[in-house]
Amino acid sequence: MDHSYIMPFIKSVQNVFATMLQMQVKVGKPFIKTAGSPAYDISGIIGMAGDVEGAVVLNMPTATAEGVVARLTGAPMACTHADFPDAVGELVNMVSGGAKAQFPGKTVNISCPSVVIGHDHHVLGCKDVSSLIIPCTTDCGEFCLEISIRQTDGAAARKPAALATA
Amino acid sequence: MKFNPDDIMMLAGTIWESVLSLPIETDEPGSVGNHPRSMAACIQISGAWNGAILLDCPVEFARLAASVMFSTEPANAALPDLQDAIAELVNMIGGNIKGLLPETCFLSLPAVVEGGDYSARVPGSTPVGRVAFVCQGHRVSIVILEKTREETAAA
Repeated sequence: MDHSYIMPFIKSVQNVFATMLQMQVKVGKPFIKTAGSPAYDISGIIGMAGDVEGAVVLNMPTATAEGVVARLTGAPMACTHADFPDAVGELVNMVSGGAKAQFPGKTVNISCPSVVIGHDHHVLGCKDVSSLIIPCTTDCGEFCLEISIRQTDGAAARKPAALATA
Repeated sequence: MKFNPDDIMMLAGTIWESVLSLPIETDEPGSVGNHPRSMAACIQISGAWNGAILLDCPVEFARLAASVMFSTEPANAALPDLQDAIAELVNMIGGNIKGLLPETCFLSLPAVVEGGDYSARVPGSTPVGRVAFVCQGHRVSIVILEKTREETAAA
């Protein structure tokens, strides 16, 4: 995966949490996802397509997700609440949208988010694309931002200078 | 935009026949049933039309599909093989659905979830096509979801 794609996500998650949740995000050292990597109960997944394709996953333990959603909505909300997936989806959408805005010269579409809730699930990422996990810590607890994206052939042929030199 | 279940079934039948050489039989739409572990593959479509396609199946079906696709015994198919198999199936479904949509639409890479106790939702979307079928005794469902509201993207 092109390392120039990592920083926009780090900046975006920090920006979204700071502006929408008034919460600081401490970012740990990113690492490649393996079979033994942590997997939490709540996953917000969003697809990216166009010049960059792949998926972004916001993976949170239930307690962290409930804390973050409470900050976002202004009221406590259990993960069993009907609106809980909407809030998680909104969060991953904002993070992805913020990162997308930092891909200069790229046509990138972000799709509607999907949300998986359950204590025994694993998001397996995209075929042929390694998944990078960015560990994050907040006042509400830890969570992971998982990025599995690649540049498409058409975009590679155009090679915008801003990203080619990044 | 609504999708006719008969059209989705015909599309699925063609893919299952060409890729897996396995027939499918229509079943009543609903969940994949009470399986100990299941897999879901989701591919997103964005552009002139926005939505997603969700394929839900028992792990045993994914294992069967992987064994056919990769010419191996079902017991020898590893989790990445299962992932590849159902990702490929949902990718083919997505590619065919995309052909029915207004231009220009983009397909995302498929995301695959495996687990024993989970629910998958696509917030802000509504089902516009849904079929379920049985393949070799395994119940499989396909849901086409259309995005119904704009989310707020932080700039």
